[in-house]
Amino acid sequence: MGDSGLASEVNEHQRLQLQFQLFQESLPKVDETIYRMLLNEAVPLAISVEKSLTHHKEDATGQLEAELDSKLALESQQGDASHKLLKDYLAADQDQQTRIKTRLENIGFQLGQKLSQLLIFSNNPNLSFKDMDLLSVMKFVCRDVWKQVFGKQIDNLKTNHRGTFYLLDYNYKPIEPFTLEEDLSDQEQKLIEPFLHVPCGMIRGVLASLGFEKEGQVTCQATLVDPPDSKQAGAGTFTKSVSFNVQVLVGR
Amino acid sequence: MAIQTILVINKSGGLVYQRDFIKTGAKLSSNEYLILAGTLQGVVAIASQVTPKALQISAKTGSKTANEPSQLIPYVGSLGAPAQNLSDMGSFMGQDFFNESFPSWNQSGLKHVTTDQLSMFLYQTLTGLKFVAISTQSTTNAMAVSIAENLLRKAYCLYADYVMKNPFHDPEMPIKCELFDTHLAELVGQL
Amino acid sequence: MSANSASISASSAGPKKSLKTFGDDIWKNKTAKINAELFTLTYGSIVSQLCTDFERDFKKVNSQLYAMGYNIGVRLIEDFLARTALPRCDSLAQTSEVISKCAFKIFLNVTPQVGNWSNNKDAFSLFLDENPLSDFVELPMDAAKELWYSNILCGVLRGALEMVQMDCDVWFVNDVLRGGQSTEMRVKLNRIMKDEIPAGED
Repeated sequence: MGDSGLASEVNEHQRLQLQFQLFQESLPKVDETIYRMLLNEAVPLAISVEKSLTHHKEDATGQLEAELDSKLALESQQGDASHKLLKDYLAADQDQQTRIKTRLENIGFQLGQKLSQLLIFSNNPNLSFKDMDLLSVMKFVCRDVWKQVFGKQIDNLKTNHRGTFYLLDYNYKPIEPFTLEEDLSDQEQKLIEPFLHVPCGMIRGVLASLGFEKEGQVTCQATLVDPPDSKQAGAGTFTKSVSFNVQVLVGR
Repeated sequence: MAIQTILVINKSGGLVYQRDFIKTGAKLSSNEYLILAGTLQGVVAIASQVTPKALQISAKTGSKTANEPSQLIPYVGSLGAPAQNLSDMGSFMGQDFFNESFPSWNQSGLKHVTTDQLSMFLYQTLTGLKFVAISTQSTTNAMAVSIAENLLRKAYCLYADYVMKNPFHDPEMPIKCELFDTHLAELVGQL
Repeated sequence: MSANSASISASSAGPKKSLKTFGDDIWKNKTAKINAELFTLTYGSIVSQLCTDFERDFKKVNSQLYAMGYNIGVRLIEDFLARTALPRCDSLAQTSEVISKCAFKIFLNVTPQVGNWSNNKDAFSLFLDENPLSDFVELPMDAAKELWYSNILCGVLRGALEMVQMDCDVWFVNDVLRGGQSTEMRVKLNRIMKDEIPAGED
């Protein structure tokens, strides 16, 4: 009797899963390519914003010049090409780089906040908010948030059960098309950094919307790491494994 | 048909990609490949200019007004259809990148060169990119030309999917993109 | 929508299939898809960050969005051409149909209405009844006066058309987000860059 009870529970769970999947599939869709492009293009955009802001500060003395400038800017709206903007990032000073990264992190943060609402309202059977502790929130990030945005789940979640988490993605999708040398030079490593600030912000945003919202309560840092040997498929290619280190201060 | 080399030439005639698939084949120096790219760029233009006026006019009044491109390249199904593995299709869905005959964007330019030892095929896109395949087989067979056009359009699909999605890529610079490399090698390997 | 009555249909349907069937087919069978709402939210986060960065100077936000779109458009066109292999359009009417029934369909799964042709047929409008960029978006009062929320689309079209040697201006003339009757994008062909058309096409 106990067995059949379990079986029907499993079936019920499967039914809900299937229902959820069908529901997800029935939602309006757009092409994946443009989404990937939009997300990655946020990085050159953030650099371009920084350039335009600092440029204007320098010009603040000459009002006329600034006016002329904005007129010219309107006429040639195209701006710089993305690959050029990315190179400009390397030339930018520390403060500028920090502002660019903060900007991207803010975009991610806002996205994360809205995303958890989107996922919660969609009747996901994997979510129960009765006893949503920190660990289940992190599992929600690894499973549902990642699946929704990157089409795959986080590959490995590690925790010390005291607020430190490592989320390992062995193939972080947005940087998949990037090609860099295997031995990442400092410069190249630097070029990848801003792309990782969007998901960092996103993780913080999701956590904030689920109750971990105090200023400075959550920090998140991403680093490129070597994947475990079993996952190291193509040798001679640079690793696309990313480790997200999330620190949450939990009040007792 | 064994593909010896694939080249990609950008719209200003610069060689941006060159890869040999047969190690034993005759090797050109990188400088020679650059010259080849520039030469092809010029020859395509000249070829379209030497098209007799009469043919140009008849092509215009004949097929163009009906808005039916004069020739459709038949879809060659069996060619390099990626084996089951859907993840290999990148952002493309289904069994193959496309499955219909398609018009050539290159109507009067050079498309096919053949010597006793080899053939060279050219596929030109609307944006001015040229994809070139050099085959170790001498052929004037229409089927071979169709196969080559299909192959090169697929190379274009790979280019769009991988090279264009690398934000570091500069269109004036050589293509450095490992996903493009591996998928192109697979495509050629399946031939 | 009154403007629709002005729409002319491109009588030349292109390949054997109609452009509509062609676009629908590629959308349905050939493209990987993601949730439209995710796309909306992501774009919303980007726009909102821009508004903060430029301290609600919406003109600057508009031009950043445009520039961002341009950078996407010049690359996205290759994806579009590789997928469709559509022949060069021989009239702007045909271009408008390709943009609406194929490009918008394949990438955004919407089909804007084409209309409001200029007298000399060098400009037309796209009416977006649905716009996945701005679903459920409401603009604050100050933004509703100056922000063209979906301005990225203008940049994308401008960039993509330039790559196929069409020098066009693209801009929004109306947006339901700003209280307009419709969301209307204007495309004006300045000239075809004949010198840059790849040799061998004609």
